Amino acid sequence: MSGLKLAMAAVAVLGLSACSTNPWNDDLNGGAGAGGAGAGAGALDPASPAYFQQTVGDRVLFAVDQSSLTPAAQATLQGQAQWLTRNADYVVTIEGHADEQGTREYNLGLGAKRANAAREYLISQGVAGSRIKVVSFGKERPLEICSDETCYSKNRRAVTVLAGGLTG
Amino acid sequence: MQTGTKISLAGHGLLMGWVVFGAWFPSEPLPFEVQQVALISAEQFEELSQQRRAPQVSPEPAPLNEPVEVPPAPEPAPQPDPEPETAQPEPVTPAEPDPQVAVLPEPQPEPEVPLELPSAVEEPEVPSLVPQVAPDAQQRPADRVAPVPVAQPEPDTAVAEIEQPEIAPEEGAETEQEVQEATAPEAASDRIVTEENEGEELAASAAPAASLRPRSRPERPQPEPEEVVEAAQPAEQEQPADEPPADTPSAVEDALAEALAGGADVEAPEPSGPPLTLGEKEALRVAVSQCWNVGSLSTDALNTTVVVGVSLSEDGKPDSGSIRLLSSTGGTALASKQAYEAARRAIIRCGSRGFKLPPEKYAQWRDIEMTFNPERMRIK
Amino acid sequence: MKNFLAALLIGASALGNAGAAAAQDGPLRIEIDQGVIEPLPYAVPDFVPETAAASEYASQIARVIASDLSGTGLFREVPASAHISKVTGFDNPVKYADWKAVNAQALITGGVSVNGNRLTVRFRGYDVFAENELGSGLQFTGTTEGWRRMAHKVSDAIYSRITGESGYFDSRVVYVSESGPKNDRRKRLAIMDYDGANVQYLTNSASLVLAPRFSPTGDRVLYTSYESGFPQIHVLDVGKVQRQILSSGDGIMSFAPRFAPDGRTVVYSQTQGGNTDLFSMDIATGAKTRLTSAPSIETAPSFSPDGSQIVFESDRSGSQQLYVMPAGGGEARRISFGKGRYGTPVWSPRGDMVAFTKQNKGRFHIGVMRTDGSEERLLTASFLDEGPTWAPNGRVIMFTRESQGSTGRALLYSVDITGRNLKPVKTPDGASDPAWSPLQQ
Repeated sequence: MSGLKLAMAAVAVLGLSACSTNPWNDDLNGGAGAGGAGAGAGALDPASPAYFQQTVGDRVLFAVDQSSLTPAAQATLQGQAQWLTRNADYVVTIEGHADEQGTREYNLGLGAKRANAAREYLISQGVAGSRIKVVSFGKERPLEICSDETCYSKNRRAVTVLAGGLTG
Repeated sequence: MQTGTKISLAGHGLLMGWVVFGAWFPSEPLPFEVQQVALISAEQFEELSQQRRAPQVSPEPAPLNEPVEVPPAPEPAPQPDPEPETAQPEPVTPAEPDPQVAVLPEPQPEPEVPLELPSAVEEPEVPSLVPQVAPDAQQRPADRVAPVPVAQPEPDTAVAEIEQPEIAPEEGAETEQEVQEATAPEAASDRIVTEENEGEELAASAAPAASLRPRSRPERPQPEPEEVVEAAQPAEQEQPADEPPADTPSAVEDALAEALAGGADVEAPEPSGPPLTLGEKEALRVAVSQCWNVGSLSTDALNTTVVVGVSLSEDGKPDSGSIRLLSSTGGTALASKQAYEAARRAIIRCGSRGFKLPPEKYAQWRDIEMTFNPERMRIK
Repeated sequence: MKNFLAALLIGASALGNAGAAAAQDGPLRIEIDQGVIEPLPYAVPDFVPETAAASEYASQIARVIASDLSGTGLFREVPASAHISKVTGFDNPVKYADWKAVNAQALITGGVSVNGNRLTVRFRGYDVFAENELGSGLQFTGTTEGWRRMAHKVSDAIYSRITGESGYFDSRVVYVSESGPKNDRRKRLAIMDYDGANVQYLTNSASLVLAPRFSPTGDRVLYTSYESGFPQIHVLDVGKVQRQILSSGDGIMSFAPRFAPDGRTVVYSQTQGGNTDLFSMDIATGAKTRLTSAPSIETAPSFSPDGSQIVFESDRSGSQQLYVMPAGGGEARRISFGKGRYGTPVWSPRGDMVAFTKQNKGRFHIGVMRTDGSEERLLTASFLDEGPTWAPNGRVIMFTRESQGSTGRALLYSVDITGRNLKPVKTPDGASDPAWSPLQQ
């Protein structure tokens, strides 16, 4: 059990740093990540985490101080649900985030609401709730670091992080 | 980048991350336990808490409070300091017996360094102590809050409690004049300036400066020819000597004020003198106000109104021994003590040159009860 | 002459009573209702070294006292270069005239002796113009390593004698030390003296930590850590250097912990199913009680000093606002009604005010209001100010100020509750989430 937790923590952190350093992720943020696959994505193994991140789209975005899912976000989550149904060995942690325009603890609550909105939607699409955990980072882990809306809009996100092919 | 490379990178990253994490936390137990924080060893902490350990407090430092009676010192008691060197003599009276200090032994003849004393009304220059240090704040308005906003004085004007024109010795003046440096009250705004209200404050304090109030007003009909130069403008060579007071429009106000005060016949030189005019009382009020600093009072003391009694000598100087708390309302005993002390400081400091009061009415102002009501000073 | 002008400008209020009292018998009566607000000038010459080893401490202690007092903005030091008298012996009579001449209204003198690692500090304060002592002298004895604390204790005593309220100098601040760029920020718990001296780190930066708070006696610190991957509440016993996790269950996020004034109960936020509510937990038994059950975000609780009420923030109205409820839960009363959003309420140690963060028109403010929401006053304005904490005497507020942009970093600032004396608190690195300790015993 402890090993699993550690694994998840490790993957979560790794996933985060990958998010912030890999240029290939950032263009898929539109919330319409599904179907937005670039030409190179065709070569990915459809069962790989990279395919999930790039082709399916691992994140959905939110409006200011909102946790309701846009149609684009719902489309992305449908893709995630299908992928997770096909790859039933994966469990996921959905990380909720907020932009810096808010107080710290409120943003933790807001991030939790966003992550939970994504979770509920995945469950509605047939993914077992036991496979989905949520965590909020509030404004502690911004992806983009400028102080204007172009960055804020990318930081208000819920990211579905795959926790490896472990069952559990 | 090739997709294959990307996948490979990601995979390797994952692996490396795993190794790194594994290496960092090889044997960490389940976190749901009481455990040592790694960063501080017990020894380090001991050191830390050693330093943290509260000092012991002894309420009375043994030697201090024991009044040691020594045979009377050969020289007169240290109280009536000769202090001829101070620019202006303090109203020294035998202070109330203070067991803490007065009885202290050895009035050591300390090497009296004959220093040039700064003028007592002049504040020492403390350029480094401008308190506003917010690095990103632009030049802020004055840090001092006073009844009326005061613009920054001319750079070479000394700051003093009381605004005084510069008096330059003049050739051929009929009467002897004291040379006096121009002073001006320290710059002040009429409200507390916070970062939040800064903008409005600037506008607000600009207003009175721009208003067309009468700039001056003659003093009570006193015959001394006084050369008065506005501190702001440089002393001119030729000044209109003996400016006829009756010609200035504000003389009307003066008369009006007297009428309001009910004392139209000020000329009659009674020994006790007529009651003070409104203007005279106002001048006293303002003079004390300028030294009444409530900036270092607790909020509790700022809710305390104190009535303070004081007796003045004929030159208008307060007898500090006569200053006493008559009553207080609104605060705790401690708060009233602090409020009283602030009031006492105001009277002593601003009275140190003597309040300007008409000598012929001495009997009217020898004993004064001053009520210090901080209600309007709580939140400016 | 200028006096008369000033009198006319401000004297309107006095017209009535001055006229009425014109023909009185007995003493002249005047009422002063206008004064000035400015720092009180004081002098603190180097303390007198009374043993050979004491000379360094003697001057350092005087410097710390000056830094404490001048740092409040209520006092202004008359620098040593202006002093006329030298204090050569602690028990020598004070030459009041010399201090009056430089307009030092308060004077602090002291003597320091060192015996082994024992340091003894004696001091006296004087009201220069009244020519008497400010209370009676005191003596502190401690270790030489603790010399700064002794200086702070002298400052506290002087501050309290002049202002009438207790001081806050012998206190500490726990905060989050920050380093690294904005998208890779490393955070660790740190503790320091209120003035930024003696920084010590309490955790390493491997896991994210947030929003520490002192226990009512200052011996423990509550904070939120992501060590398990999820935010969970930790209690660090500063005395035993041990910590404990207050678990609210597997995978359940809990954060924003605060001690009740009894030190035995913790209120905090717990998130389940995306909904954040307030709970209380008995530290000893782990028994939990739900305090709110709204589908909105309830967080940032703070106890009234008597422990009977809790002020917290909630967006149940549609935006973040402040509410007060009984400490055991129950009906909450909204207290913030101005424009904008209100968060992070903190009840003042005196019990009469609440400090908060306000967000309005893209700016952040630290403000204070009465506990019923009246008399709201904003003290600061910047791109991002948040998280106020009260000095133990309720006179000063410290908070986090974050600068804008990709190179933005967080620093600590303090401000008097009048809004005066806004200034940064020096820390070795970036810093956020300060929490002030009570005065140390």
